[in-house]
Amino acid sequence: MTELATTVWQGLAAAGLGAAEGWGVPPAVPGPMWIGLIPALPLLAVVLCTLCAIFKVKSKLPAWLTVGCLAASFVVTLLMYLNMSGSPMLSTAFTWIDVSWGSERSPRNLHANFGFYIDSLTCLWMLFVTGLATLIALYASEYMSHDVGKGYSRFFAAFSLFVFSMACLVMADNLILLYLGWEGVGLCSYLLIGYFYKKPSAVAAAKKAFIMNRIGDLGLALGIFLIFVKFGTVEYAKLFADGAFKEMLGHAMTGTSESWAKIPWDVKLIPILLMVGAFGKSAQFPLYVWLPDAMEGPTPVSALIHAATMVTAGVFLIARTYAVFQLSPSALTIVAIIGTVTALLAATIGMAQFDIKRIMAYSTVSQLGYMFAGLGVMTSVGACFHVFTHAFFKALLFLACGAVMHGFAGQLDLRKLSGVGKMPGWRIVGITMLVGCLNLAGFPLLAGFWSKDMILAQAFITPGMGLVGWVLLLTAGLTAYYTFRVYFRVFVGPQEHHPGDEAHGHDDHDAHGHGGHGHDDHGHAKADHKHEAHDFHPHPPGWAINLVLVVLAAASFAIIPLTFMGKHGGWVGDMVSHSSAAWSAPGEHHDDHAGHSHAAGDTHSHAGESSRSHDEEKLGTFLGMDPHAVMYYVSGVVGLIGIGVAYRLHLQGRTSAATSRADALLPMLGPIPKWAQNKWYVDEFYHFLFVRPLWVLSHIFHLIDRMLVDGLVNLAGILPRALGATIRPSQSGQLHGYAVAMAGGIGVLLLIVLLVAR
Amino acid sequence: MILFATILIPLAFAGYVAARPAKEAKSIALVGTLAALAAAVYALTQFNWSESSQIQMRETVDWLRQLGGLGIQRGEVTEWQGGVALSVGVDSVALMLIALTALLGPICVLASYTAITERVKTYYVWLLVLQAAMTCVFASRDLVLFYIAFEFTLIPMWILINLYGSTNRRKAATKFFLYTFTGSIIALAGLVYVVWKVRGPTGVWTFDIGDLQKSAMIVLSSREQGWVLLALLCGFAVKVPLFPVHTWLPLAHTEAPTAGSVILAGVLLKLGTYALFRFAIPFVPAAAYEYAPAIAVVSIVGIVYAGLICWVQTDVKKLVAYSSVAHLGFCVLGLFAFNTTGVSGSVLYMINHGLSTGALFLLIGMMYERYHTRSMKEVGGLGSKMPVWSTFMVFFTMASVGLPGLNGFVSEFLCLIGTFQAGSWGRSPGGTGGNLGFWYAAVAGTGMIVAAMYLLYMVGKVVFGPLREPHGHHGHDEHASTLPADLTAREIGILVPLAALCLWLGVYPKPALDALKAPSAQVAETVKAGRQAAADFGKPPPPPRVLPAIQ
Amino acid sequence: MLASWMLAQSDYPIPMTNLTLGHYLFVAAAMFAIGLIGFLTRRNLIIMFLCTELMFQAAGIALVAFSRYHLNHTGETFVIFVLTVAAAEAAMALALVVLLFRRRESLSAEEWGQMKG
Repeated sequence: MTELATTVWQGLAAAGLGAAEGWGVPPAVPGPMWIGLIPALPLLAVVLCTLCAIFKVKSKLPAWLTVGCLAASFVVTLLMYLNMSGSPMLSTAFTWIDVSWGSERSPRNLHANFGFYIDSLTCLWMLFVTGLATLIALYASEYMSHDVGKGYSRFFAAFSLFVFSMACLVMADNLILLYLGWEGVGLCSYLLIGYFYKKPSAVAAAKKAFIMNRIGDLGLALGIFLIFVKFGTVEYAKLFADGAFKEMLGHAMTGTSESWAKIPWDVKLIPILLMVGAFGKSAQFPLYVWLPDAMEGPTPVSALIHAATMVTAGVFLIARTYAVFQLSPSALTIVAIIGTVTALLAATIGMAQFDIKRIMAYSTVSQLGYMFAGLGVMTSVGACFHVFTHAFFKALLFLACGAVMHGFAGQLDLRKLSGVGKMPGWRIVGITMLVGCLNLAGFPLLAGFWSKDMILAQAFITPGMGLVGWVLLLTAGLTAYYTFRVYFRVFVGPQEHHPGDEAHGHDDHDAHGHGGHGHDDHGHAKADHKHEAHDFHPHPPGWAINLVLVVLAAASFAIIPLTFMGKHGGWVGDMVSHSSAAWSAPGEHHDDHAGHSHAAGDTHSHAGESSRSHDEEKLGTFLGMDPHAVMYYVSGVVGLIGIGVAYRLHLQGRTSAATSRADALLPMLGPIPKWAQNKWYVDEFYHFLFVRPLWVLSHIFHLIDRMLVDGLVNLAGILPRALGATIRPSQSGQLHGYAVAMAGGIGVLLLIVLLVAR
Repeated sequence: MILFATILIPLAFAGYVAARPAKEAKSIALVGTLAALAAAVYALTQFNWSESSQIQMRETVDWLRQLGGLGIQRGEVTEWQGGVALSVGVDSVALMLIALTALLGPICVLASYTAITERVKTYYVWLLVLQAAMTCVFASRDLVLFYIAFEFTLIPMWILINLYGSTNRRKAATKFFLYTFTGSIIALAGLVYVVWKVRGPTGVWTFDIGDLQKSAMIVLSSREQGWVLLALLCGFAVKVPLFPVHTWLPLAHTEAPTAGSVILAGVLLKLGTYALFRFAIPFVPAAAYEYAPAIAVVSIVGIVYAGLICWVQTDVKKLVAYSSVAHLGFCVLGLFAFNTTGVSGSVLYMINHGLSTGALFLLIGMMYERYHTRSMKEVGGLGSKMPVWSTFMVFFTMASVGLPGLNGFVSEFLCLIGTFQAGSWGRSPGGTGGNLGFWYAAVAGTGMIVAAMYLLYMVGKVVFGPLREPHGHHGHDEHASTLPADLTAREIGILVPLAALCLWLGVYPKPALDALKAPSAQVAETVKAGRQAAADFGKPPPPPRVLPAIQ
Repeated sequence: MLASWMLAQSDYPIPMTNLTLGHYLFVAAAMFAIGLIGFLTRRNLIIMFLCTELMFQAAGIALVAFSRYHLNHTGETFVIFVLTVAAAEAAMALALVVLLFRRRESLSAEEWGQMKG
């Protein structure tokens, strides 16, 4: 596998994509200052919401302020997109960190501006970040309405702070500012997961998310240090223009073992370290376990942060520093493998869950695995495209689930709900949910289908990645199955519902959730639940929620044509290929090779013209066929099979919410479904392997500190005391005793003097 | 005169407090500390920041010049060479620490308004005396004056802990005093040895820190440097405190009154790091360089070890106290990287730690005043009852965790990157060379994870979760406390400036970093020169003495 | 030697003639011994105090004698100091003894053993 990159490189080099022409970010040009408004407006919303909190505003004002600011930010982002030129733009707000040393001849400095690096990749990300944030803030204005006057301002302040941090992360012109955004989104995630702070499980989940992310952050920080030490800068523009960096890229391109040897080992380590950061933030194996728990937060948060935007930061990081990832022969291979493992693992867990929000969470982890696999098999276009489409349909899915949760008093168990989509007032939710599910399942011709297909096809093409392709294909089927398992059980079928544990009314949102929710012994009486549960009526979503759902569903259709725009992998491909992530993979590097619309013949004829024939032989195939040509059909069929199985098991002949045909099949699989339902015991495994030993170690340290380290100090204190105790009786307290002792002492001294003096 | 003013104003007001009735004590103390703050701010404005590594605002008053000095009669006046003098002067590092001390002064007085109800006069007198002594430590340019002030800080602190602490205060005060005093005595031996060696041929004993810094590294062989370093570390590492000589700190912090903890964390610990910066490195640079890996290892062990201990504490104050050990590990680590990045980060860390940890102690004190317990088993989930307090708690915790955008991040990041640069990549564009490097930074970096673990554990217990109050705590009637459930305007007022500074130093640290650039670069230069001097030691011709000649 | 010769040339008081240093020292030693024995054997605080004074003065005599013998003023100067201090000390000590007496209605030194370790 380690030769993969070499092979790919040879393919690239042969195809005339050498370092000089194939990858070379044009020099950055100064950009307009108003770009700074994009992060500034959400920051303004933070300030305004904080003021609302201070003055105890008891209306929906914070929500409207937030929506307004975010919408304005989105408009500025659009302007920024329209203002884009071929070169990346640099716009500096102020100098943040600046330390310089070295002599006058060779000045060195560590310089990090609070500045923005705007290229098409930034635009792509910011467009959907600000766009979705605006929509989801609108949704949340209704969703969080129970908390008006309580946590409402706090929620929107943290929400806006998140958008600010995300903007910093994406727009940063240097890695340290990216790190600021990176940790900032982590903080907001922490604050918002722990929004229902009285609930111990939410607090625990928030803490887990932050700490898991910190593990990744350490990797990222070390990666940044190493980049700085090796190349003397943390700024993208300077890094990409750095002579040493380009030289090493050249070595990597040559791809022979001698040229690889010219790249020092510590440079090869950089991508590995950066990758760890990406794995933490984007919930990849083995750092994924925080994301499902993060569903303790309010649903809009899950939709925005834990599905659409923050978790894609890892993909962004790798895409942004894609060139750095070329410097190690094994980095992208590892990314591909980890992504694939995550995709499969999360999909299997998702199949066995009953909590619809958790299913969506695992599906997010799984889809993120897809994106990483895409990056790993060298289709940054495919990965970013999938990020883009996934952002829309996954936000849609979460928001639809949130509407259900909101309407049924926190009920999320798919065994307790059925036929929701047919209930009065729930049509829109049902339909939009279907749209989302079809996208996620990869239903032919929908947005999710195109992006997933691009990754799958590339996985088969990239040499040595065949296994990755097959596993991803299997995962695609599983994805379709568990997605429609949710849809068929909850939204269609016989109508039935049991309210969740908030059925006593919405005045107390603290008990929001599912499964083992916290027992507030002082909050509200348990008896209320049962009493009011009898006359519970689901309350359908209001205009804000419905509007947002419809807009998102429409958007997920609207982005389909984008797939056909442009030359290279659609509109997204265009955006990506004009940025620092512009690495095309073998078989995909021709301008006329527009994402979906190419034909096998095209590809091969052009490739054949421009490159040597033996390179073509190295490219993989799908059962002897060109993957680009057949993958549409294959993945479409696989998705349909998944949907079909879900239909057969979970809809056909189902009479109640609690049971389905699948129940009969489960015993045949032995303990596997139980294991999957228990998330393969990964949490427990971590607990026993890391948390518990560390906990014990901490106690041992504490004991050592008290007994040994402090004990020695105390011993040093006891020694003089013991000495004093032994000679103390000689102090009789009687004047004459001292006088005699003194006289005797003088006598002895005199004797000594006399004797010695002789 | 302004430096003498910053030292004397608190001292004068201490006398005034003593002379006036007890009920006026706190107001007078507040006025006094505010006046000192004003003086410090004035000093900040008068300082020439473009030459921040120069010792500025030099003021010298002859004191005990006869002690080792040589006087030459010139008409009416006697000109003195060497000897002990009351000599003050600051570079940017000292001035920033003086400003920190002056800032914490009024905050400590305000924090004690309701907490101290007995022996009020004694309390404020010693608080003011302590402030004067600490300021004097940073300002002094004379070794004897420095050492006197350095040791004198123990007495007010001992009184504050011993008289105003909680249950176990006597033991804590005694341990604090004896432990740090024992260490300092050994450090004194080291300092005296340096002075004695520098005195050597000329016969004039100089105690001027600048002169000593110039000469010490030349007259000491590398063997002697090693021993001097060890002696200095005995005193200063205890003060910092570094693992494994840290055990006085948790005890002292836990038992001290709130203002005592704030000063202890905010300034007293910085005396140790400042002394390392001012004496250990310039006096014995070659040894400091040689033993930097060992010191770094000790710091890193402290970071991880103390961090993990924090994680299993139930006493909030003890948790924050142990976290100081971990935090100052970063500070010392950055200092011993001997490059501009690391040293600036380290000095900035001194300031930042004073702000954020000081604020955490204030917050815990506010909680303690209301609930009379610090145990996380008894009290928790205050988010619903004390929203304002909780907001500040989360804010300062995040500053302490090192969240980018807040102050802790900049300094921690610089310390780590400095450590990282000081590896074997002297010829890389971003490396500075040194004998630390990747693994030091990587292992120290795990401290960031551990910090998140224990601080979020603390916040999770104290701020979040269901409300838990001590048994029998119904309102505040039984404790006869007049405090409302959430913070008063006075309490918010003392937290806001700290929060504002945390934010400012996190978002726009440039002025501070610019000011620290030159002194940090000077450290790097000193170490380079010191290593050269150690290599040349004993080689003929002997290096010319740089002591100023006697006219 | 040179110094004593120079002094002999001047009007400086004539060195002691028939009384030798030994005589003075004998008196001093005797006074000291009396004081010491008195201090050790008596229990009355006032008498003990007087005995210490006796020892003091014995030392003074010895100092003056040596001072004369060596032809310089150091010893004499010192004795003046000692006398001054002794006077101050006597005032203090007698006051203390009176206070102690008021507490216990006794002058016995055995009444006071609070310094026992």
